[in-house]
Amino acid sequence: MGQLSWFNNSSRGPTDMETSVLAECNTIPRLFWKRVGQWSDRTALREKVFGIWREISWREYGQHAKYVGLGLIELGLSRGDRIAIISENNPEWLYSDMGILAAGGVTVGIYPTDSPNQVEYVLNHSGAKFYIAEDEEQLDKVLEVRDTIPRLQKIIIMDMKGLRHFSDPMTISFDELLTMGKKLDDHQPGLFRERLEGPQPEDLAILIYTSGTTGPPKGAMISHRNILDTMAMQNEVNPGYENDEVLSFLPLCHIAQRMVSTFNSLLGGYVMNFVEELETVPENMREVSPTIFFAVPRIWEKFYSALVLTMKESTGLEKAAYRWATDIGQKVSDYRLMGSESPWHLKAFFKLAEWTVLRNLKKMIGLNRARYCLSGAAPISPDLLKFYHGLGIDIREVYGQTENCGPTSIHYEGDVKFGTVGRPLPGAQIRIADDGEILLKGPHVFMGYYNDPQKTRETIVDGWLHTGDVGRFDADGHLIITDRKKDIIITAGGKNITPSEIENQLKFSPYINDAVVIGDGRKYLAALIMIDDENVMKYAQENRIPFTTYASLTKAREVIQLIQREVDNVNKKFAQVETIKKFRLIDIQLTTDDEEITPTMKLKRKFISEKFKDVIESMY
Amino acid sequence: MPLLKVRNIETYYGPIMAIKGVSFDVEQGAIVTILGANGAGKTTILKTISGVMDPEKGSIEFMGQPIEGLPPDRIVRLGISQVPEGREVFHDLTVKENLMMGAYPRKDRDGIKKDLQMVYGYFPILGERTAQLAGDMSGGQQQMVVIARALMARPKLMLLDEPSLGLSPLLVKEIYAIIKRINTEQKTTILLVEQNAPMALSTASHGFVLELGRIVMDDSCDALLANEDVKEFYLGIKEEGVRGERRWKRKKKWR
Repeated sequence: MGQLSWFNNSSRGPTDMETSVLAECNTIPRLFWKRVGQWSDRTALREKVFGIWREISWREYGQHAKYVGLGLIELGLSRGDRIAIISENNPEWLYSDMGILAAGGVTVGIYPTDSPNQVEYVLNHSGAKFYIAEDEEQLDKVLEVRDTIPRLQKIIIMDMKGLRHFSDPMTISFDELLTMGKKLDDHQPGLFRERLEGPQPEDLAILIYTSGTTGPPKGAMISHRNILDTMAMQNEVNPGYENDEVLSFLPLCHIAQRMVSTFNSLLGGYVMNFVEELETVPENMREVSPTIFFAVPRIWEKFYSALVLTMKESTGLEKAAYRWATDIGQKVSDYRLMGSESPWHLKAFFKLAEWTVLRNLKKMIGLNRARYCLSGAAPISPDLLKFYHGLGIDIREVYGQTENCGPTSIHYEGDVKFGTVGRPLPGAQIRIADDGEILLKGPHVFMGYYNDPQKTRETIVDGWLHTGDVGRFDADGHLIITDRKKDIIITAGGKNITPSEIENQLKFSPYINDAVVIGDGRKYLAALIMIDDENVMKYAQENRIPFTTYASLTKAREVIQLIQREVDNVNKKFAQVETIKKFRLIDIQLTTDDEEITPTMKLKRKFISEKFKDVIESMY
Repeated sequence: MPLLKVRNIETYYGPIMAIKGVSFDVEQGAIVTILGANGAGKTTILKTISGVMDPEKGSIEFMGQPIEGLPPDRIVRLGISQVPEGREVFHDLTVKENLMMGAYPRKDRDGIKKDLQMVYGYFPILGERTAQLAGDMSGGQQQMVVIARALMARPKLMLLDEPSLGLSPLLVKEIYAIIKRINTEQKTTILLVEQNAPMALSTASHGFVLELGRIVMDDSCDALLANEDVKEFYLGIKEEGVRGERRWKRKKKWR
């Protein structure tokens, strides 16, 4: 099989070639450079320039990375220096990442939505020497605070638009950096090879700053070995191949997107496609039609709402066809997930359903070629997973944290069980502590928090990573997450309640984007709800509910009644003490620039409860 | 009771929805403004009110009476006059003939005579040039002609579409001063659509910001003048930033 299966999707698990490549290349630069040589003319990246998808080969990718690395060396990078990147996802991000790692530096990703003060914090905390900025906007952030960042030496700007007349001794353009790198390469052709052999497997490779729910962000230290082992473990259960396509659109400074759309391709060799911007994700999805797709629950909820509302506006015949097809899809999926074959007549019907209805639905959201999809970074409603399986989309849930490079447990190929987050990755051990906390041991457990031995000691105890999540195993050995340990609500009546379960049910409504359930030390549960503006506006229009702005929409009596009905429906699924007695709608439109919401678009419980303190109090 | 009640209107150009559900009130005697960029749908709202376009959905009430879908001439007779964008005078008619076209639906000769004197009072230059062809007048004078023509119908509500377009700053000031006088002296309610946000916000008492066919802000003009987003995107006031120049725009939040 070996060689052949490399070009064939039907194989399972890693091939000998992959295993041997990892034995040979035990750091990211070594593996990257091996791939550049091996896959030189194959497409590595695709980006849309002036409306046309442009392909970038592994050779080009490698050459750019090399010149970035050498340019930084010329600027004075020594081994172990931290270099920050602040940019939306683009090829330059990857050139920089690979260049930094090859030169022996440590990459520190900063969220492009961060404020100047947040940028200042990360730069000072990491002691970054260089700052690679996407454009004028990201440049301005650092200029505003650079007086208080003594260790920062150089600012490199990818896109010089609007900066023609700007000059500052501290800044150079990305192109200038590449030219410097090229010059150095012409001078000392062997230098790059020599440098990329420098980093060792146990060395720090990247710092991932996690948005702490308490206190300032912490810098999780991830080694080369951490990353490579995670890739190998992941690939064993959910492999990617060279003819796969992935879409890069969630922030690259987040561990999940970084693994999926930067590192994992070094193993599978699939093509990474960059979206133009967040607003164009739906169009880019349809254009690229990814075969492996990772997204956060919020995106899956959006697609679901879009499909449901489209069906609402369709004709009676279309509605009937939709119900018929998804019904068959559900049945087939039930058989498949139980591990048995569907009866032949069902198979025949499913073929028909696929051709007439399901195919078109999947095309609408750009998932018609998807081999498998992943949902992670936040809990997702099992009903939602079920819905996608009914469409014939094989969606798997991954649970994890930055502190172990992402995946802690995952649904293996062919072993998806709703309501669970799958099994530990092969080679990892999960143990449930006496207080219910999920503990993890494995080669992907991180090195600790940068410059924070105290936090590190609290998090890794005797080699076990304390996840801060509470959960249990079911009879088949699938992990079930209850909630964040500190989010568990104990009501005034002494009842333990896991808010995320209720929140997920609420989010399942097409009219609700996100919710925060409150009730710790209180007599009953209440919720702050963020409505789905598009869908609620549509509802208001259809039902002639007058409104002017977003705020007035959230105050419209009929809208509150609509949400009340959705809340009532969810309440039916829970015991009396777990029902939402009161709720309020958040009356401002939160964007990723706000601190109340994470870059992956989750409401932050702590910030929300603080900002809307008065609103919360008004419910009790 | 508000003079004008707009509820959930949706207006299309062929398959394209230009107004995506807009609701608002205009109170008796007020000057209310709608701000918005090109293509936001400002003019479409005025056209939908005056009956030049019909809304696909939604209702419009004027003095308690539904008027959506009525022909424009009926709506004029009910007391709504639109001053279209771009100074659309009747070029080959004299100034006086233009003004008389505005009084076309009226029968009260005495009243019309009095009103002619009234508009000449507001726009003395028109009184001096009654016999001149409107097409031969300057841009500012043409703008005066169209406002005066609308006034001749004795409207209760005047819809003004970009009266400042293409005029010199001095003329803009002059015209706005007259608009304000008409509002106070004649008790004419005014719905004003403008790109010239500083002028509109200093004249009106209440304002809406329209973006892509939807209202995103609804507040008093004082509050709008103080709003960060209005400042940056409509008044052109922004912090210079560290470099003394800044090209990139913040994300609009509208709150």
